[in-house]
Amino acid sequence: MEGFLGLTLPSFIGQLINFLILLGLLTFFGYKPIRRMLDERSNRIRQSMEQAEATKQEYEQARVEVGEQISKARDEGQAIIGQAAQGGERIKEEARKEARKEAQAIVDRARAELERERERLVDELRKEFVDTAILAAEKVISETLDRERHRRIIEKTLEETGAFRRKVS
Amino acid sequence: MTPKWHRGGFLKLVVLLVALFAMIIISFIGSEVGSGILGFEPLSFLKVEAPKYQVVPERPFSNLPMTNTMITSWISILVLFGLFFIGTRNMKLVPTGLQNVLELIVEAAADFIEDPAGEKHGRWFFPVCTTIFLFVVTNAWVSLMPGFETLSINGEPLLRNANTDLNVPAALAVVSFCFIEYWGFKARGASYLKTFFHFGPLGQALKQVLSGKFKDGAGGLLNGVVALFAGLLEILSHLIRMMSFTFRLFGNMTAGMILVMIMLFIIPWVLPTIFYGLEAFFGLVQAMIFGGLTLGFACAAVMEEE
Repeated sequence: MEGFLGLTLPSFIGQLINFLILLGLLTFFGYKPIRRMLDERSNRIRQSMEQAEATKQEYEQARVEVGEQISKARDEGQAIIGQAAQGGERIKEEARKEARKEAQAIVDRARAELERERERLVDELRKEFVDTAILAAEKVISETLDRERHRRIIEKTLEETGAFRRKVS
Repeated sequence: MTPKWHRGGFLKLVVLLVALFAMIIISFIGSEVGSGILGFEPLSFLKVEAPKYQVVPERPFSNLPMTNTMITSWISILVLFGLFFIGTRNMKLVPTGLQNVLELIVEAAADFIEDPAGEKHGRWFFPVCTTIFLFVVTNAWVSLMPGFETLSINGEPLLRNANTDLNVPAALAVVSFCFIEYWGFKARGASYLKTFFHFGPLGQALKQVLSGKFKDGAGGLLNGVVALFAGLLEILSHLIRMMSFTFRLFGNMTAGMILVMIMLFIIPWVLPTIFYGLEAFFGLVQAMIFGGLTLGFACAAVMEEE
């Protein structure tokens, strides 16, 4: 019944079947699901690492873009400020010119006014002087002359002497 | 931290060692050997029965043909299947508990196998090598459980390390052999046969001789005969491997079992614990050797020869 060192065919075949059953059971209930899980996990980890890498790159790109935009905006702002300063300068210049022109106009007007006033005064003075002169002459020569004639004579004289000329330079 | 504490710890150690030593002495006096030396039996209740060892596994059930090693291998199968079945029932992407342990084992085995064999062949070898390893180590460790050796029915031990039954290592060796040859053919096709029947060089030499080039042909003939002989040696080595696989595991495990039994007989307390630890380690080592050698031979079989 018992073979060499207990080696018997039924026992041997039994143990062979035992092992093959164990192999099958462990393969289908153990190794396959676990290896699938391990593969899935490593896939998942690889994916998330790739994703993280992509996100990092995106972030980096966005950062660069934002930086560019900021610097562009800064340039633009600088340009606008420059333009504004220029515009302000121009406006100031214009205002200054305007003011100067206006001042000039006021001065001119004042001068013309003055001129007119002086002419009026001179006329007045002359009239008065003529009247005074006539009165004096009347008194002096005690002779009543035709007033109009006298005036003309005096006027003529005044013209000739150049005194009280109309235009005073 | 303080010297006082240190002294206290040292004292505890001394007390522990003395107690252990006393237990060894007491159990030795109680054992058959100690009683024999003393000439009387002061502690007869401590006596452990003399070890009975028979190489043929016992049959605890007189009316059933199964041996106690068969029962143990069923227990090992149930333990392994139970662990893997429960551990993979609700697999989660973030592993916890048993799933984690099983994944650790599977991943370590996969790394161990795919390192020399490569990804493709590693996937072929993995189930067989890992199962051999797990089966052998579980057989060894299950039989170190407390009470394992003491259960008996009809005066025969109910359980016995399955690795100490020559049928188990032999079955594993045959499985290993068959899978190795199968992988060899699968990887290399008919050219795998050239490992064993290498007629090429001899045929060439004969052709040369027949075409009149005796000088070249003579050397070639010798080479051809050597190649043929090497092939025969290869066949022999593949067959002898099975034997060495079988008797390595059987011998180591049987020796371990006998050693523990004898230690229990001579000094029942304390000292056998050390041998239990050693047996646990040897069981692991033998399992790794069986699985690892299968892997190594499989790698050699699938490798293309020039």
